[in-house]
Amino acid sequence: MNYLRVLFEGCFAAFNFVVLSYFFLGNGIYTVLLLLSLRSTWIHAWQEAYQGLDALRYSPLAPGVTVIIPAWNEQNVIVNAVSSALQVEYPNFDVVVVDDGSTDMTLDRLVQRFGLVEMDGAYHPDIPTGAIRTYYINPKLPRLLVVSKIRGGKPDALNAGVNLCRSPYFCNMDADCLLERDALLRLLSPIVNSRVQVVASGGTVRVLNGCEVRDGRVLKVGLPKKWLERFQVVEYFRSFLYGRTGWHLLGGTLIVSGAMAVFHRASVIEAGGFCHDTVTEDMDMVLQLHQWAADNNREIRMSFTPDPVCWTECPSTVAMLAHQRRRWQLGLCQTLWKHAAMVFNGKYGIVGWLSIPFHAYVEGVGAVVEFLGYLLVPLGFLLGVVPLGLLFLVILLGIVYGGFLSVGAVLLGELTHRRYPRLRDLTTLLLLAVLENVGYRQLVLYYRFQAVLKYLAGNRRWEKVTHFGALADE
Amino acid sequence: MPNIAEPIAHDLLMLLLVIAAGICLITLIAFLQRWQQIRYRHYVHGLRRKYRPHLAKVLAGTADDREFEVLRKLPLGDLEILADPLFSQRKLPDSQVAWLAQACAELGLIGVWEARMSKGRPLPAPSQAGDGAGLPIDHLVTRHLLRAKSMRNLGRLRYRASWPALVKALDEHEADIQLVALEALAAIAAPESFPVLRERLHAIIQKGLMCPWLPRLVETMSRFNVACAPALLPSLRHPNPRVRLYGMRILRTMVRRHASSRLGLKLTREVLTPQLADLLPTALATDFSAEIRAGAGELVALLADERATPTLRELLFDHHFLVRESTLSALARSPRATRSMLLEVRDCLRDPDWRVRESAIQTLLSLGREGRHQLYQYFLTSRDDAPCRQIVEVIERTGLISALVEEYSQGNIGIDALMLEYLAGDTAPLGLSGILRTLDPEVRRKFLDRFLPYMELKARFVKAAQEEVQPDFSLQQTLEFAPYVAA
Repeated sequence: MNYLRVLFEGCFAAFNFVVLSYFFLGNGIYTVLLLLSLRSTWIHAWQEAYQGLDALRYSPLAPGVTVIIPAWNEQNVIVNAVSSALQVEYPNFDVVVVDDGSTDMTLDRLVQRFGLVEMDGAYHPDIPTGAIRTYYINPKLPRLLVVSKIRGGKPDALNAGVNLCRSPYFCNMDADCLLERDALLRLLSPIVNSRVQVVASGGTVRVLNGCEVRDGRVLKVGLPKKWLERFQVVEYFRSFLYGRTGWHLLGGTLIVSGAMAVFHRASVIEAGGFCHDTVTEDMDMVLQLHQWAADNNREIRMSFTPDPVCWTECPSTVAMLAHQRRRWQLGLCQTLWKHAAMVFNGKYGIVGWLSIPFHAYVEGVGAVVEFLGYLLVPLGFLLGVVPLGLLFLVILLGIVYGGFLSVGAVLLGELTHRRYPRLRDLTTLLLLAVLENVGYRQLVLYYRFQAVLKYLAGNRRWEKVTHFGALADE
Repeated sequence: MPNIAEPIAHDLLMLLLVIAAGICLITLIAFLQRWQQIRYRHYVHGLRRKYRPHLAKVLAGTADDREFEVLRKLPLGDLEILADPLFSQRKLPDSQVAWLAQACAELGLIGVWEARMSKGRPLPAPSQAGDGAGLPIDHLVTRHLLRAKSMRNLGRLRYRASWPALVKALDEHEADIQLVALEALAAIAAPESFPVLRERLHAIIQKGLMCPWLPRLVETMSRFNVACAPALLPSLRHPNPRVRLYGMRILRTMVRRHASSRLGLKLTREVLTPQLADLLPTALATDFSAEIRAGAGELVALLADERATPTLRELLFDHHFLVRESTLSALARSPRATRSMLLEVRDCLRDPDWRVRESAIQTLLSLGREGRHQLYQYFLTSRDDAPCRQIVEVIERTGLISALVEEYSQGNIGIDALMLEYLAGDTAPLGLSGILRTLDPEVRRKFLDRFLPYMELKARFVKAAQEEVQPDFSLQQTLEFAPYVAA
């Protein structure tokens, strides 16, 4: 028995080391990202006061952009999404909707709403894709093209959209999103002002639940009523306003924006187009671009703006939240494994030395470490290895530090425009930022842990999230 | 573990307290930020509501001394708050800009902004005003922000005298000051500043300076009037190909903007100067850079010069697709030049690059009836599948197929009718069926009344030909061309 106890204590001590390193490394880097983002977002807010977007809005040299919306069985939301895309304020853009073999009314609703008729199109693919079945247009809406193709998955639909794109840039947008009117202006601004080729540009995605929407526009920003959705508001703040902003400042961007991002078409084609082997094709594309640039000695940049550029409906039920988080975690595992050769590879700079290892350890493996920590530390207490006071402190520290990072994210939200207008909303958000770490975070952690196990077990199935709330067409 | 628990617990407790203090601090900052914003918003709202009638009169040009007297009594900070939306929001109409400029000069704002721009005095706190109505200036707003706003405002007012200081600001280290200065220079577009900007462009490119604003400099120069185009001659003749390339981009954009507001524009030797007019069809049209040749093609299409047509003919068969495509697009915008080159444009329908073919289709369509008929002739006699499919797509996409159907239903004969029958019979089933569904019922009925008998007859002859011996090509051809022959 003594031998077993000593063995357990030894293993526990080793695991403690792993947990502590995960805690300090992860939270240490998050703190650095937060501080960098605070400064950057503050400066950005000042610059807004005198720079504005008119220079690009009226520019004869504004590069053309094609908004590509891949859609599969999105009958509830597709009309609003396309309406919002068509209302964007930008001098030179068009919209291509790629219906990826929907079996519901997605295509019918588009045809009906926008008065589309079939067209005999000519397809000139630069990237191989599944066959296009039909093209739809309305000559009175020259900016819009809808194509129906055989089902091939989201990457295939995106590639078809890239093939149909005639602009130097394209913006891929999820079908469950609404674009801000100045979204393209904000995303293209860093591109046109950069001396180095910017191959990807992303912005902040905000939670649509609780907002007032009409005809594809967010008229009034509001907090959702459900607590599950409210926690996700804080989570999105954290993820975008300092996660992505911070990594962008360090030059280690791995994800520009899940729901919407602008890419340089020629670079994407040279990098091979979107791949089918992960469920997070946006992150995969960013890594592909890093790899392609390093392999071809090209100097590129990824850009990120803290401004909100699009709104998306977050899951309003626990079941849908589970699907979504498992899919994200699965995609993370797949993508990082696919690009494992970039880890600690000096050829890829900060991305190889810091960004990918961080995401692999803290976001990927961290889900397992943290989850096991929640199990083993109390077990240690029960076995008398961990004193009660220490147990209490460790748990409290996790909650409080998580709260600190989330509260910092809420402050960042205060610095951007389209903030929640009421003082009561700010108070609620600050409270949520702390409470999020007691229950909600652990729930999400459980789904992430499940996803890692599924990945290890070889289950790579895409889990679809259905939308019927704020974004649903009237 | 147990033997190191105590010091760890102590450290963790300290860490916990520090983090908790951090949370409280951030929460306080967030609330302060929000409170300040609310307070500022209320103040600004009150100020604007009170002085809106005065400002409206100023913008309308109907303000008299009384209005100015009221506005003069305001603290400088409040005046700027009132004026700020006019400079930060949408483009002002030209008429309002003039009145606003006059008002700003009257109220002394222009003097303040000029002083700030040359790193002069900062904004005095509005609370120095006698009535204490001003809001204490935000202590976090630096002189940098005020300078940038001053530059922006002078640019929006198109205050010409400020251009030397704006050019000087391009030497500063802060990228956003440089960008604001460029924007202001573009808005003012003083011809005297153009050569100075050109020299900047050369310096940046030649010295390889990592300047963050080169694209914006190019865009700024593009916004100048085409009367400044002759000043680009040194760039277009420069031995450095990158300089020539940027020079061409600027010239091209200038001319496009100019042409968009003047239909049938012709670039004469008076507009461009003889040297530049000579350079376009010669050195630039044969430059080794495809983009420069493409730009030259675009401009030569507008050139009032006897060398224009031969140059364009050569560019249409350039080895680089970009040059061919660009030349075709340019021809679409200048129908007069294109009419003499109709056959060459039609030949581009056989180009190996699909983008060039599409450009050729668009160009032919832009020429009206004459161009359309060339297009139909090619379509009806060609065996090239790829161009024909593209032609069908463009015809459907531009809505031309609807027009063809309507004319056909009215009894129109000729090549348009033949084209429609061919499209309807063989090559555009989807497009036509879609159009028919949305047509006016009467138009649809007339169309079908005419088309269906033709299709039935055709089908019977085809079937007869297939059942007997080898299909009689001449019989089929006669059948297909019957309406045309009848015409």
